[in-house]
Amino acid sequence: MFYIAIFFQYVAQYMKTRMQYRADLFVEIFSDLLFQAVNLIFILVVFGHTNLLGGWTRDEIIFIYGFFLVPYALFSSFFNIWNFNERYIVKGELDRILTRPIHSLFQIVLERMELESLFGAVTGIAVMIYAGNNLGLGFSWTDPFLFFLFVIGGMLVYGGIFVLIACISFWADARTSIMPMMYNIGNYGRYPVDIYNSVIRFVLTWVLPFAFVGVYPASYFLGKEEWFLYSFLTPVIGIVFFSISIVTWNSGVKRYRGAGN
Amino acid sequence: MTDAITVRNLKKEFKAYSSRSGLKGAFRDLLTRNYKIVPAVNNISFQVKQGEMVGYIGENGAGKSTTIKMLTGILTPTSGEVIVNGMNPHKDREKFVRTIGVVFGQRSQLWWDIAVQESFRLLKKVYKVTDEQYDSHMSHVIKTLDIEPLLDKPVRKLSLGQRMRCELAAALIHNPPLLFLDEPTIGLDVLVKLKIREFLKEINDKYNTTILLTTHDLSDIEALCERVVMLDEGKIIYDGALKSLKEKWGEGKEIEFQFLEDVTLNDLNRITASSEVKWEKDEKKAIFTAFAEDNDELISLLIAKVVADLKVKDIDIKETSTEEIIRNIYDRGIS
Amino acid sequence: MDKYIEMIRIRFLMMLAYRTNYYTGILIYSINIGAYYFLWSAIYGEKDAIEGMSVIQMSTYVAVAWMARAFYFNNIDREMAAEIKEGKVAVELIRPYNYLGMKTMQGLGEGIFRLFFFSVPGMVIVSFIFPLQFSADWTTWIFFAVSIVLSFFINTQINLLTGITTFFLFNNTGLIRAKRVVIDLFSGLLIPISFFPLWAQDVLKYLPFQGISYVPSMIFTNSFSNNEAIQAIIMQGIWVLILIIPIQVLWIIAKKQLIIQGG
Repeated sequence: MFYIAIFFQYVAQYMKTRMQYRADLFVEIFSDLLFQAVNLIFILVVFGHTNLLGGWTRDEIIFIYGFFLVPYALFSSFFNIWNFNERYIVKGELDRILTRPIHSLFQIVLERMELESLFGAVTGIAVMIYAGNNLGLGFSWTDPFLFFLFVIGGMLVYGGIFVLIACISFWADARTSIMPMMYNIGNYGRYPVDIYNSVIRFVLTWVLPFAFVGVYPASYFLGKEEWFLYSFLTPVIGIVFFSISIVTWNSGVKRYRGAGN
Repeated sequence: MTDAITVRNLKKEFKAYSSRSGLKGAFRDLLTRNYKIVPAVNNISFQVKQGEMVGYIGENGAGKSTTIKMLTGILTPTSGEVIVNGMNPHKDREKFVRTIGVVFGQRSQLWWDIAVQESFRLLKKVYKVTDEQYDSHMSHVIKTLDIEPLLDKPVRKLSLGQRMRCELAAALIHNPPLLFLDEPTIGLDVLVKLKIREFLKEINDKYNTTILLTTHDLSDIEALCERVVMLDEGKIIYDGALKSLKEKWGEGKEIEFQFLEDVTLNDLNRITASSEVKWEKDEKKAIFTAFAEDNDELISLLIAKVVADLKVKDIDIKETSTEEIIRNIYDRGIS
Repeated sequence: MDKYIEMIRIRFLMMLAYRTNYYTGILIYSINIGAYYFLWSAIYGEKDAIEGMSVIQMSTYVAVAWMARAFYFNNIDREMAAEIKEGKVAVELIRPYNYLGMKTMQGLGEGIFRLFFFSVPGMVIVSFIFPLQFSADWTTWIFFAVSIVLSFFINTQINLLTGITTFFLFNNTGLIRAKRVVIDLFSGLLIPISFFPLWAQDVLKYLPFQGISYVPSMIFTNSFSNNEAIQAIIMQGIWVLILIIPIQVLWIIAKKQLIIQGG
């Protein structure tokens, strides 16, 4: 409960800071929108040349993309750790973190959050409503709860993977460019995994389970029963991956404290 | 009285990687890298009592920062024992750090973009300080450090001296019984330095706060610490009172003479030939300095001899400064 | 000239120092290419050709586009932004070299490094995994070589432009990000320009972006005739020349501003 109170303290501080640079805020939201638009344009252009993508229609693909945007927005808001190595290891900010009585990863999450990315969730929901309408999808009272559960699961999958990558800095003393590339790979979870070959499908399901951020959970709402099992696995995978990342983080911190920098 | 810090046979080793030179070397580094194990802190032991103010000194790379990092729980020792505030800093880190305050002179604890008091508020929550504790304690801190007018300014708009005072206040929000200061006065002007020293003395007095201080500026230590721990190449080479360091290593007195007539070193050596005196001449200012043992009788005899033979314009008797003592120790070694 | 070559060498050495990148980088780029390969295979489905490109040409296009990206891509806009904000640029301006030229050379050093340690081995590995088609015609290779050098310059010039804007905007991270996204789409990295609707192709014709990725990739896959290839390369060259103008203008204004504000 202490952590929740602290969380809101940080959020309040964050708002105050951001309000000082309103123009930046605007540009950032705009560039997020642009990024989402580019992805939608890609889908639209591609469907100018085909009607089905591995058996999925244009609106289904757009729906999956809309869903993907929601956990992704949560992830980008709270796991802004792409420059963890430079900021915390090379510049030694981790020392300061370690002299404070809050879990180190939680402190970094709080310090680096970028709440304006949450705006992406609004875009995502709008895209889903648009595509859902075109598809004539039904709506049941359980949907909002499952949606919430799947979104959290997806965010934890993303968070877990990126925390694990940040942990590399504890063992290797070099700056790595894995992080930005992983953003690229993460994007493939938003296409139906059955278009990929079995190795990649396996990777996207069990190794870097990005499929649980987009296509698997979205399949539930699209009524694709053959994927329901995976849909319901979403929160489980999220919790498992995130737990692994926390354990790794803790032992990474232990190692940092052993080796210094 | 209880010990705030107990350190026994503490050791910390680092792997130091060396890169080979040139393009070819860089390619070989891709595959394997050379490293050797370097002890940064080598088997040190000391104790600090509650309420003591201890100066921790040494040259760059002597192991000061590494020790501080081990005492604050940032680094774990390779071997040896550390007990701070009755706890092992490396276990139960979150509980332990509540009992210490840390100021890194070159690294900000405060949030860059928000007003100082907002940072304080956040830290107050982080350290679970109640309103009553905060009010009674911090109002005093804020007044003594004279930072009241700075509280509503964002940190990025503060000068270094202003920021440092705020950093100090921030480290004390939870009124810790033990305070670590790593180069707290680096780059500050004299007035701010004086204010900070004044303040540190006061909280030490009022709350019996233990203070461990590393600094390059020995005047800080002279002003604050009765005890110094001196480090060289990872080993403690002196641990004791600053006064006895001076007595032991303050190699006698220096007497500066200026003369009304032309004098050479030979003249002076001839005059004082019977006593143990070494003469030096500062060519530019025509000042002659006599180095003699710290013995009142000897010195008065020396002056009497010189004055009897030569016309003296000015005499100045100087004690060796701490800075010189320490330089001497590092130059010549302790033995 | 020596100092610029020295800068290329230094960058090369710096890249070598960060070695963990390269064990994983190629693997990850390959996964990246693979994902697009499957996406395009699914898009082609039963079709033999779309917009005159066969599925093999398409997968070659994807592979070469990404591997070429490793060559032309750099972060000098971000570096410039950081240096300007930290006030290091004032120091750089005192030094006896052209700051923008130096930045370009740093980018080139990085690019050459990635060409040898990333793009070429990556391309070999990818060609084992996916069916790709390499041209047997040596003119194609020469055209391609000229073309990716030009695409490096166009991309770097655009980066310099974005970097200089730091002088005028308080915070341009958003702009830098937006630029990257736009380039990925409009340069033809994600979709060949010929796949866009005609009206969009007409617009893109008047923009420099297709010189970054579309042109070299089309040349590499033999999707251009020799004539088309020469024309496209000339267009790239013209863009390199045109882009010098806004860079110089902005740079002069920026330097004036720097003198007035004192950095």
